[in-house]
Amino acid sequence: MLLAVLFSNSEGNILIERFHGVPSEERLHWRSFLVKLGADNLKGAKNEELFVASHKSVYIVYTILGDVCIYVVGKDEYDELALAEVIFAITSAVKDVCSKPPTERIFLDKYGRICLCLDEIVWKGMLENTDKDRVKRLIRLKPPTDV
Amino acid sequence: MASGQDSAGTTLMDLITSDPSAVSAGNSSTAPPAPSSTLGKPTTTERKFKRASLMQIQNDTIAAAKALNPVKAIPQRQHRKPVSYAQLARSIHELAATSDQKVSQKQLLHHVFPKLAVYNSVDPSLAPSLLMLHQQCEDRNILRYVYYYLARILSDSDAHGLSPGGGIPTPNWDALADIDAVGGVTRADVVPRIVGQLTSEASNTDVEFHARRLAALKALTSASTSNSEVVTKLYEIVFDILEKVGETKQKRKKGIFGKQGGDKESIVRSNLQYAAISALRRLPLDPGNPAFLHRAIQGISFADPIGVRHGLAIISDIATRDPYSVAMALAGALLDVLHLHDVLARISLARLCHTLSRARSLDERPDIKSQYASILYQLLLDPSDRVCFEAILCILGKFDNSERTEERAAGWIRLTREILKLPEAPSVSSKDNTQSKDTLPPKPKSDKPGLKSKRPQPLFKLAMRRLESSFRSFSRPVLHAAARVVQEMGKSRAAAYALGVADIDEGSQLYTYSDNVESMDSDLNDGSQTEASRKALSLSNGPSGKDTIAGLLASLMEVVRTTVACECVYVRAMVIKALIWMQNPHESFEELKDIIACELSDPAWPSTLLNEILLTLHARFKATPDMAVTLLEIARIFATKAPGKIDADVLQLLWKTCLVGAGPDGKHTALEAVTIVLDLPPPQPGVSASDPKAALALQRLVQAAVWFLGENANYAASEYAWESATPPGTALMMLDADKMVAAASSRNPTLAGALTRLQRCAFSGSWEVRIVAAQALMTIAIRSGEPYRLQIYEFLHALAQGGVQSQFSELQLSNGEDQGASGTGLGSLISPMLKVLDEMYRAQDDLIRDMRNHDNNKQEWTDEELKQLYETHEKLLDLVSLFCFVPRAKYLPLGPTSAKLIDIYRNRHNISASAGLNDPAVATGIADLVYESNATRKDPDSIDPELAMAWAAGLDDGLLGSNAPAMDRVNEFLAGAGTDAPDVDDENITSRPSVTYNDMWAKELLESYEVEEDDARSSGTSSPESTGSVETSISSHFSGVNYPSLFSSRPSGYGISQQSLVYFSFELTKYIRSFGESKSTSRFGSASAFERQGSPVREEPPSYSASVMQRFESFENPLAGFGGQSFSQRDGEESTGNPQFGKALYDFTAGGDDELNLDAGEEVEIDYEVDGWYYVKKKRPGRDGKMAGLVPVLYVSS
Repeated sequence: MLLAVLFSNSEGNILIERFHGVPSEERLHWRSFLVKLGADNLKGAKNEELFVASHKSVYIVYTILGDVCIYVVGKDEYDELALAEVIFAITSAVKDVCSKPPTERIFLDKYGRICLCLDEIVWKGMLENTDKDRVKRLIRLKPPTDV
Repeated sequence: MASGQDSAGTTLMDLITSDPSAVSAGNSSTAPPAPSSTLGKPTTTERKFKRASLMQIQNDTIAAAKALNPVKAIPQRQHRKPVSYAQLARSIHELAATSDQKVSQKQLLHHVFPKLAVYNSVDPSLAPSLLMLHQQCEDRNILRYVYYYLARILSDSDAHGLSPGGGIPTPNWDALADIDAVGGVTRADVVPRIVGQLTSEASNTDVEFHARRLAALKALTSASTSNSEVVTKLYEIVFDILEKVGETKQKRKKGIFGKQGGDKESIVRSNLQYAAISALRRLPLDPGNPAFLHRAIQGISFADPIGVRHGLAIISDIATRDPYSVAMALAGALLDVLHLHDVLARISLARLCHTLSRARSLDERPDIKSQYASILYQLLLDPSDRVCFEAILCILGKFDNSERTEERAAGWIRLTREILKLPEAPSVSSKDNTQSKDTLPPKPKSDKPGLKSKRPQPLFKLAMRRLESSFRSFSRPVLHAAARVVQEMGKSRAAAYALGVADIDEGSQLYTYSDNVESMDSDLNDGSQTEASRKALSLSNGPSGKDTIAGLLASLMEVVRTTVACECVYVRAMVIKALIWMQNPHESFEELKDIIACELSDPAWPSTLLNEILLTLHARFKATPDMAVTLLEIARIFATKAPGKIDADVLQLLWKTCLVGAGPDGKHTALEAVTIVLDLPPPQPGVSASDPKAALALQRLVQAAVWFLGENANYAASEYAWESATPPGTALMMLDADKMVAAASSRNPTLAGALTRLQRCAFSGSWEVRIVAAQALMTIAIRSGEPYRLQIYEFLHALAQGGVQSQFSELQLSNGEDQGASGTGLGSLISPMLKVLDEMYRAQDDLIRDMRNHDNNKQEWTDEELKQLYETHEKLLDLVSLFCFVPRAKYLPLGPTSAKLIDIYRNRHNISASAGLNDPAVATGIADLVYESNATRKDPDSIDPELAMAWAAGLDDGLLGSNAPAMDRVNEFLAGAGTDAPDVDDENITSRPSVTYNDMWAKELLESYEVEEDDARSSGTSSPESTGSVETSISSHFSGVNYPSLFSSRPSGYGISQQSLVYFSFELTKYIRSFGESKSTSRFGSASAFERQGSPVREEPPSYSASVMQRFESFENPLAGFGGQSFSQRDGEESTGNPQFGKALYDFTAGGDDELNLDAGEEVEIDYEVDGWYYVKKKRPGRDGKMAGLVPVLYVSS
């Protein structure tokens, strides 16, 4: 189960979050925890360098892309490596939409499309599409495989 | 640039709209509503009809919006102003009506829809407009948004925007959108319409339409699965699609992801297959339904790789419940799946194979089982680390967290014994090429040990080599995962050892066709992996290392150890856990100790992580109790190196479990590991100021250790008053104090050592520690025989007099605290203890005197005398039980000589010795747990007497049961649970999560009311967290010990242990006084007084000395324990005390029973506010006859 996908800017403002199966009273804790992780570790990190953390039986993989920090939280079959796969799908879609590692401004300008991409990549707590071309087609309401 | 601003004061919407370059060219308030626009191209008459009805709603809502809103609805210029939700909502309504115009489409696509995505839910009043767009609009990009928002409306689980969407909370619909004034559009209204429209679209078989069909199906799956109607419809649609396209006519073409060629028909078919099986995956599993399984199995042969993934995942899920049917239905279908391109699909495959190869119901079909086992083993060669690790975990028997020890043990045997007989590997190399894009990170090419040779390979060797190469990766997730796999390996290995199924000779040669001839001369006798042999092996560490299990393991562990150098603390933690699990009882653990000691010196470790390692020690102990001493040594490193970061509860529980597990020989060592904590230097004033949390934690740790010593020293020293058959050592007692101490320590050094430490703590620790130390000493005094009891008595006496300080002045470590006139500040606490001991000694003297008298006069004891003696015995027992648990049946407060006489009386009057129910300790609940655990655990035939004593002394695991938080934590950890959010222990986080947006939003929204908002409201409703944190910090600061003890096992929250301690000693004083005054009273009537012990002090204890009382008054603080309650009460009082009046701004129609109709201009009294609603009272009943109810905040001017 993919418990959460969260985007924040470098100052810890949450830009996008998608929780699945996390009780609302725990979301605040998760936000703070993730943002703190990012604040502690992502300074000076390379684009798309993967970081890992865990809490009990939950895994966290996070990275930075341009000005945007991306966190994914999962459990069970979504372990560190599967989450790395998820985050890879997300970063390549974001790069695709923003045409490069985004500044915060570009990210916010493309906010709507990024939400749509995320909707195609993560669907009800499960990883769905990973291929960026396929995501690109789907957010334009084209079928996954073009006729 | 937004990031340059003070972002604490910005909302996400501010961020998005802050850039002037992001032209928001003014919403088209000028655009005509154009109700007559019919440029959309409806295709059927039915749709025309629907559209007409929707248009009607649309026009109504827009008209209402315009009529009711006196201000201009949509500002012309929005360059710098954030766009409010209401504005966006209105724009959608307006633009939907003119969606055939290019300008409107552009607006929707570039301005309105992207910004609406910021909000975490979409309110149902937008649904009519969205549905209209859905029908009329032809622009695919807009339509994609429409599906997105329709899905979000369907998925909203509750009315207050707590959907998983995230973002800025959507403001209260009714309060915001004027749209509702005409009657309201609720979710219940729109959901059926949305579902209806999407359903009909999803059932549309028009080929040109199939992209929309897929999108509609996807949107439908967002509906809650608790809505059975929708679920039924979805099943129908999905099965209908699969029935038509499920059969795969042609063989799947192997091409790159999504790029396979083919005619139009087969592509459409493949797309539909994908959409249907994806939807099926999101639907609740229906294991008994053969159609479900059939369709899922069809999914395996779909052309779409994601479709195959879902098919396999569903089958794998069903297989855990009904392996037999799955195996039968699968027959032969898995031939091609090994070469799937999708990593997640192969993970599902591994799990499926594991389930089927282990299924009991397939025992009669060993051929099937071995077939699946063979596929599982082949996955060890998978190019993706993720798949390979999953295969290793499955082989190890780690499937979910519910495996039994036997399964794990069998897993270890499997891994070490099984051989992978490679099938002819046809497309391995081509597979590797095509999969490089799927695998993350790219795999080193050299890492294919088994691929080139087709010779059978031992699984163990494959796994070891794979892990070793993973540990050389630079990717943190790979390192973390590999360490986790090693940890799981350790667990399985420990299980195998624990069950003794491991006649595992790890030194023996693996059955192998290895080419390495030189490995044959490996030492066959190094079965027990000694330090020397391990070092020798590590020298020859390399791919051609010795082919014994021990050799391969040693080689792996060497690599694992080097991974500790990784800069990521989480990876290091996982490595340490792996090392702990791979540690065997008979191996030297010096290296592990060094690694941990070295690691803990690093201040970067977060405390949660350290505590997880502590919990790992627990788990390790549970798996191998023999390791108690080793684990305690490791725990000692934690206590000394990072005392400020570890959870005293968990550490204490570890001490306890290890003490019990250490066995007779290890008990002294175990206790030593605890006492070492008391030797820690107290935090320096400077340190405690800079890191108050750590200082507090250290203090808690010391308290825990002191308590632990008191509670368990007798057990560790095997010294019990009720076990010594000899009368108080009169000879010893004649000696002076120094000689007595010497004699005592020579008799039982463990207990004497504990006593010395406790004595030191009783006068030199901090105030909180001294209290616990005095209690601990009392416990030992009661439980020990002489001369210890007398020694403690003398010490306590001197302590109460304040005379000890001079005696021990050379040891005195001042902590800068004024210790009060008595020297310790403990006088009031100690005096009841002394009184009890006095009573015991006096009664013993009386007994000896009486016995002599009877002996001299050669008199028999009369029944009356026996009765008196028995009553004294019982009273003393009651008294003693107030301090600590003692086994009533055995404990003899009058000394061993009384046993005979008391037995005579008991036998004469048929009194059962174990009648413990009159025990005040039981009556007041103190010892409930003890008795319960004894009752449930009693199994006299199998109980080791030593262990029984441990239970009696309160050492049993079950003793703390579910009451102890530490126990919960440990059990939860052992069960592998825990997806709850972590606590962030650092205050200065720069997080400004969307909750801040919430506040910001509220502020923005309620601007005009801010002035009148009083503090009580904001502290009462909007920031419970801050109240809570003050409460917690204060209470934890003063509450002192929160660890499991008999006295603090009350369920009454935190922050009261010392209050009740005082109360307790106060009551005890009364109790003893009454005992002293009326010796003839047969039963104590004050049990009821003790019943209140569970609640904190409400009245001030009158006899308490003033100086101490002042201290307690500071505890008697609404924040402690009752903080929440009293706060809310106060809030209520304050809000009722200051009635607020307001006037209705608009008409409001109640939407529910608790809501109230309002007419504009009506005067109301505002009672309180909750979540954007006022609870108001009217002066006279309204048209519905109601006087009071909820109305949106925005409808009332206050």
